[in-house]
Amino acid sequence: MEIDGNTVLLLFVFLFILYSNPSGDGVTSQYEYIQLQTLKAQYQDEFAQFGNLSHSSNFRNITGLKLSYGDVLRQPDINATYPIQGKDYDHWFTDQNYTLLPEAVSDQVNNEIWATKHNVFPPNVTSTLRGRVVNSHDGFLPMPMPIPEYYEPAQDLIQNRPSLSEPYVADPGDYTGSHNITFDEGEIVMEIISTDSTSSPLEPEKRFHNSQSDKWRFLHLEIHLSDLAENQKHSISTKAIYDIRNGRILAVSESAKFHSLFALPHYMNLKEEDETIYNEVKTLVEEYWNATDFFNTRTMAYLQNSYAAANSRCEFLAFLQLEPWWGYSKEQIKTIDEELVWPLGRRANLSSLPPINVSSGLIYSPDCGVKLHMNNVSGLRHELQIKKMRNVLLLGALLLASQIYLLLRQMHHTNTPSMVNKISYWGLSLMNLVDGALAIIFFYMTSSFAALFQPLIVCSFACLILASVFEMRYMISVYASQANERNVSLFTLLRRSTDGDERTAPAVILDEASISSSLYRSYIFKTFFSMIVILSMTTWPRSLRVPVESFAVFVLNSYWVPQIVRNAIKGNEPRRGTTGNSSRRNQNKPPLLWSFVIGTSVIRFLPAAYAFSVPSNIFYHHQDRPFVALVALWLIFQMAVLYSQDVVGARWFLPNYTIPDGYGYHKAISAGELLEHGSSENYTIDCAICMTDVAVYVEDIPETHKVDQHEYMVTPCGHIFHTGCLENWLSYKLQCPVCRSPLPPL
Amino acid sequence: MVATETPQGLTSFPVTKMCALLSVGIPIFASVAGVKHWFLLYIDPFISEYKQYYRFLTFQVAAVNETDVILLTLIWYYFRHLERLFGSRKYISLITLSWAYTSVAIIVAAWVFNLIPFFKWNRFTSGAIPIVMSLFHFYKEHTPQMYQFDVKLIKPLGARSKQLKWTFNDQFVINALVAILLLNQGLVSIATGFLSWMCGVFIERGLFPGFDMFRVPFFKQSSQSASTGIMASESHSSTPDLDGAAVTPGPNNGDDEHGDEPGDEPARPLGVQFLNTFRM
Repeated sequence: MEIDGNTVLLLFVFLFILYSNPSGDGVTSQYEYIQLQTLKAQYQDEFAQFGNLSHSSNFRNITGLKLSYGDVLRQPDINATYPIQGKDYDHWFTDQNYTLLPEAVSDQVNNEIWATKHNVFPPNVTSTLRGRVVNSHDGFLPMPMPIPEYYEPAQDLIQNRPSLSEPYVADPGDYTGSHNITFDEGEIVMEIISTDSTSSPLEPEKRFHNSQSDKWRFLHLEIHLSDLAENQKHSISTKAIYDIRNGRILAVSESAKFHSLFALPHYMNLKEEDETIYNEVKTLVEEYWNATDFFNTRTMAYLQNSYAAANSRCEFLAFLQLEPWWGYSKEQIKTIDEELVWPLGRRANLSSLPPINVSSGLIYSPDCGVKLHMNNVSGLRHELQIKKMRNVLLLGALLLASQIYLLLRQMHHTNTPSMVNKISYWGLSLMNLVDGALAIIFFYMTSSFAALFQPLIVCSFACLILASVFEMRYMISVYASQANERNVSLFTLLRRSTDGDERTAPAVILDEASISSSLYRSYIFKTFFSMIVILSMTTWPRSLRVPVESFAVFVLNSYWVPQIVRNAIKGNEPRRGTTGNSSRRNQNKPPLLWSFVIGTSVIRFLPAAYAFSVPSNIFYHHQDRPFVALVALWLIFQMAVLYSQDVVGARWFLPNYTIPDGYGYHKAISAGELLEHGSSENYTIDCAICMTDVAVYVEDIPETHKVDQHEYMVTPCGHIFHTGCLENWLSYKLQCPVCRSPLPPL
Repeated sequence: MVATETPQGLTSFPVTKMCALLSVGIPIFASVAGVKHWFLLYIDPFISEYKQYYRFLTFQVAAVNETDVILLTLIWYYFRHLERLFGSRKYISLITLSWAYTSVAIIVAAWVFNLIPFFKWNRFTSGAIPIVMSLFHFYKEHTPQMYQFDVKLIKPLGARSKQLKWTFNDQFVINALVAILLLNQGLVSIATGFLSWMCGVFIERGLFPGFDMFRVPFFKQSSQSASTGIMASESHSSTPDLDGAAVTPGPNNGDDEHGDEPGDEPARPLGVQFLNTFRM
């Protein structure tokens, strides 16, 4: 390439675009720079105030904590610009004049939720808990919690400075807007994320040394709430403190309108038991602040995300009480923890480990005035859950291996084109679709379950081998053996004859290589398409997802239906009817091995049965036992029809008049045809396969009438061979050996 | 007369094939299933505290370390001469004997060693190092050296240094593999290796009985085995004599069974059919 001035200029422009992207903290304009500096200054100021706080003094100018419930109750349109006249900043009591909580809520927390005394609790509670929440609809007053205006993005390009005005002056807006929780009963999923390392989607992972790790843990709680129909979904990201001695968890959401980190010590000490609790939690928060370098590591992304969270969500305080692990000593729990993290075969008896169980819990939203009660929220320890998933995946890999084995046996069973011709392409293709999509989904899941990488990769590999090597290979040979039927009508196929049916027979039948490349193309397309559909289905609301899923499972479990149709088209004779001639019986043996039919049905039914009928399944799939029973009955029905076709003939369910006669290879010929073949004096024709004479039955010539018509075969294209010669050939290829026109199978 | 060419592949070495496959397969399974710790043996805490005596049986079954897995698999492959020489059944009997004797010897040695108050033998090797080292003695005993070659380095360390000369023979690859295997797990594996090698010597000399009499029960001789001839001759003579037993297995004795016609297209096995699918 010739390099001239324009090219160099282009290169510079290119490099400029490449390197002028936002720096580490994501600032792209002066406006954003000032925004971020304001945020940092705000946080620094609040942290300084936090340092001066004691267990008996009130919050001053901290975002989201300026007002108390009592203030709002007295004066609902209160302007919270600091300092508020008449507000007592020098004392702290846990009543509604000082806290965000109404009296009823704090009483309930103190008397009902956090009622358990000192006991043995697991120090490591990393887990995913699931349960129900009930909305109590108590009609609490929503508190104004406006977003500081510097959080707002620039209105236009000219604006250089964010508005620093006090937000309370502006219109308070609809705090309980569309994002409020309005359902009566819903589901809750709580992910309790690790303790001593502070990773969250918005912050880089860091380890911080918790000097009180035997008493307190710092947690991240991701709370997902949804109603039972999954129409409303709420995700709350919180920071939480876990009191190991009492099994209490306090989680507080964090956003642009609620800098909740500074509220943790006061609210953890809600029962006002002890000044030391306040001081210990305060130390923990300060350690966290310093270890994460909280003030310096705020980025533009954090600012924008917390602004978005503040706009679209309510703020929450969650008070949880864990159930104690009765009967475990501290040493036992230590051993269990070590064994879970680094399994060596210690005496931990993991199989009888109790789940993490929230005995009582309450979620209160100050700015939406909503109170939720938790019911039956529990879940396995994260490591145990992973172990359970690993076992299920290993069983899945075992199923896949047995499916590969069965398929190989089946392929070995049908090793001639005549046999392969009787297999249904569409039945195989249904199985292939499922296996191919599973392979990709397993592979996709390796990125979200790092702990399960190996079993997932094994399953993915097994699926891939099964789908794209073995099943595809089988489908290619089935497709190739049926290539000469492609543009033949169903009726002609049923008749097995081409008489009087003008059709354009493909002169050249595609070879396997071109068939395989076209099949692989469609395979890859179908696989990716179904993967995308399946992955997006998981996010659909339940009312849409469940029927679609049930329908899809039902259809995908109908893989024997195409085979039943295929059998009817090919018209296998009943097993009872065939006597004598062993080669004829051989031609008539059922194309599918019974071990393959039953084994495949069981292998493909088990995972669906597991997901639909085991309550604690690893997919968190809903239970629907009647549906499982329906699918099982449907599979049994299909197998029963297959069996009946084998016993009483493949076309027993078709009325007689719909079954035309098939093509008969054994028939008399006319003298004219004999002449065409160049007759010899003793009325024989040369068999093109063995090059010896074939005696034929000619209708017009009585001398030939003692010839057995079963000794020779006449093809639809008018060529004549010995029966044995042509039958042997037909087991290799369904083409006329002379003119290559397609032949109906025997 | 012994055919000098070893048969291609492992089809005629069923025991070698099984050992090599298992020494890869079991660690992969253990890793996928997260049960690698089944194959670790430490006296403290597993034996003294947890009383998990099953580990005496499992510590030789699989290596938990990737390099050991590869080394052991390669060494099993090199040991296929032994299977050819002894016959599959005698070979697997020898492996079983080595497993039993080396395990006992190592455990007894560790127990005696731990009577000394100042030392502690806590960690044991993982993987079939003891079996392999016991078999290594047999390999050395029964494999003749075929050639050797010198590697000469002329003045490798400056002008005044002498010429360096190393002599290698045709077994230098397996020697190197065994050396790496021994060094790979440190002092323990060197000690264990030496003990196991002694076990091999004792088994051959009859000090540890069973080499001549013990045969694993229920062993089905496959027709493909490289040593059908050996098994036949062994069953005739009550004292198996290695020189007499080493009858040529005869790789080309099946030519008068079917009378292959030259023009006949050879049967395509399933594997070839799969490969042909991708040959476009």
